[in-house]
Amino acid sequence: MKKERRQFIKGACASAFGVACVSGLGIAKSNAHKDKNETNCKYALIHDENKCIGCDACSVACREANDVPDGVSRLEIEREGPFGEYPNQFYRFTRKSCQQCEGKPCVNVCPTGAAYHDPSTGIVSVDEWKCVGCLYCIAACPYQIRFINPVTKAADKCDFCKETRLKEGRQPACVEACPTKALTFGDLKDPHSQVVEVLKATPNYRSKTELGTRPKVFRIASQEGEIKL
Amino acid sequence: MSPFHFDSLVWHWPIAIYLFLAGISAGAICFAVLLKHFKLGKNAYKSSFVRAACLIAPLAVFAGLGILVIDLTKPFDFWKILVFYNPTSVMSIGVAVLLIYQVALFAWLACLFKEPILKWCNNRWPVVDKVLNAFTKWEATITGLLVILALGLGAYTGFLLSALTTFPMLNNPVLPLLFLISGISSGAAGTLLGGVLMKGNPDGKEVHFIHNIEIPLILLELALLFTFFVGLILTGGQSQAAALNAIGEGFWGWIFWGGVVVVGLAMPLAFNLFMTASAKRKFSYVAITASCSLFGVLLLRNFILYTGQMTVA
Repeated sequence: MKKERRQFIKGACASAFGVACVSGLGIAKSNAHKDKNETNCKYALIHDENKCIGCDACSVACREANDVPDGVSRLEIEREGPFGEYPNQFYRFTRKSCQQCEGKPCVNVCPTGAAYHDPSTGIVSVDEWKCVGCLYCIAACPYQIRFINPVTKAADKCDFCKETRLKEGRQPACVEACPTKALTFGDLKDPHSQVVEVLKATPNYRSKTELGTRPKVFRIASQEGEIKL
Repeated sequence: MSPFHFDSLVWHWPIAIYLFLAGISAGAICFAVLLKHFKLGKNAYKSSFVRAACLIAPLAVFAGLGILVIDLTKPFDFWKILVFYNPTSVMSIGVAVLLIYQVALFAWLACLFKEPILKWCNNRWPVVDKVLNAFTKWEATITGLLVILALGLGAYTGFLLSALTTFPMLNNPVLPLLFLISGISSGAAGTLLGGVLMKGNPDGKEVHFIHNIEIPLILLELALLFTFFVGLILTGGQSQAAALNAIGEGFWGWIFWGGVVVVGLAMPLAFNLFMTASAKRKFSYVAITASCSLFGVLLLRNFILYTGQMTVA
């Protein structure tokens, strides 16, 4: 009996150790990623909510450039308002698209590694082939911008046009399409890039940073509308 | 807001059923192990209750995995989850635990049913004898592995949801414990219900043994449920909004107070206390108590899954 008890405890300890190791390793690795993320290029985007007029040229261009099927979208402009009395009425526009988080909650939960962080550009991407459609990333994204592409059946979202416009050496489709130049795209690691210059000169904010997401989409807050508590 | 359709809803009821089945499998096998080691010994395989638990454990896990695979948008690509692993993903770790759990489960079942298996084989395949003897030699180790893996599986069903920072109600440190304990109590209920349906004696020593464990389990579950919601309310902000929205007035509020608390916890607790005090247990008492408990756990999984996804951080 004593020997059996010892064996039982050994088995229990071995498996507890195994489970703890695997999960511990995972957590340690997710912390270590912070350093690994440090690459020479990190693309970021600024949405100036003062310049935005809510014309939807960006979302139309995005759909066309990335072949996004009807019924789903990688980019939407959400409108709030109107604020104030006619004729001094204003709307507020916010961009709803992938925030390109450095904390990358979607990448952390993906069981197959289909959601990944591209080390050479800092862009969070989806490997369509690896994705099995478990929806875990869609639930894990605090910005709720992920969706299942009805054609590929894989998770899909904005990737700063990594596979389309960036490959052609152009700017993302939304940036090129914007008639009021409300969008600025560039490399955060390049101290002379336009994004860095704008971010240094203009007060800006990011959405839901309290969740540890460290997004790379920056916003310049709208001056119009009412003050919200 | 419709209780089953809203914008922020990602995971639907099949996931709740999967979480329920994984929990009941883990719980049932824990009780089979406990019954064998503390009450029945070598003859455990003759007990209807142990047999019921040994049927529930593998069948529930297979059914759960089946539901999970069908629920994927690409069901035929499910093998990619088994080939590619991501150590930061709770789901990936869970799949690994599930796989090893099933191996340990079948090894343990082979030890338990060694005698009838050998009798049935009748020395036709000497390999079977050899394998079973090797298993028996390592039985204590296998049991230890199995128990920890079962507890891991039960807790995993909670960690799977608590990893989601999007939803403040799910992103809660108490959730894995709550799901583990309610999974174990559903395993107890499943074992009792299956046992009496398989002509087990409703006043047998197995029933007394399980009921004695069930009472503290229910009390613990109530305490965890209390901590879960009080913790959310005291956190404030969206956590508080999520908790009040869930247990306040409305469809899910009724499910929680009527289904989870009264039918799933208070009634089984009252029945159990009554049965401990009164002399003899009858088939109907045991079956009804177990059914209430199972129903409550199934409702709890659905309640947490749906209301948890209603409020976004």
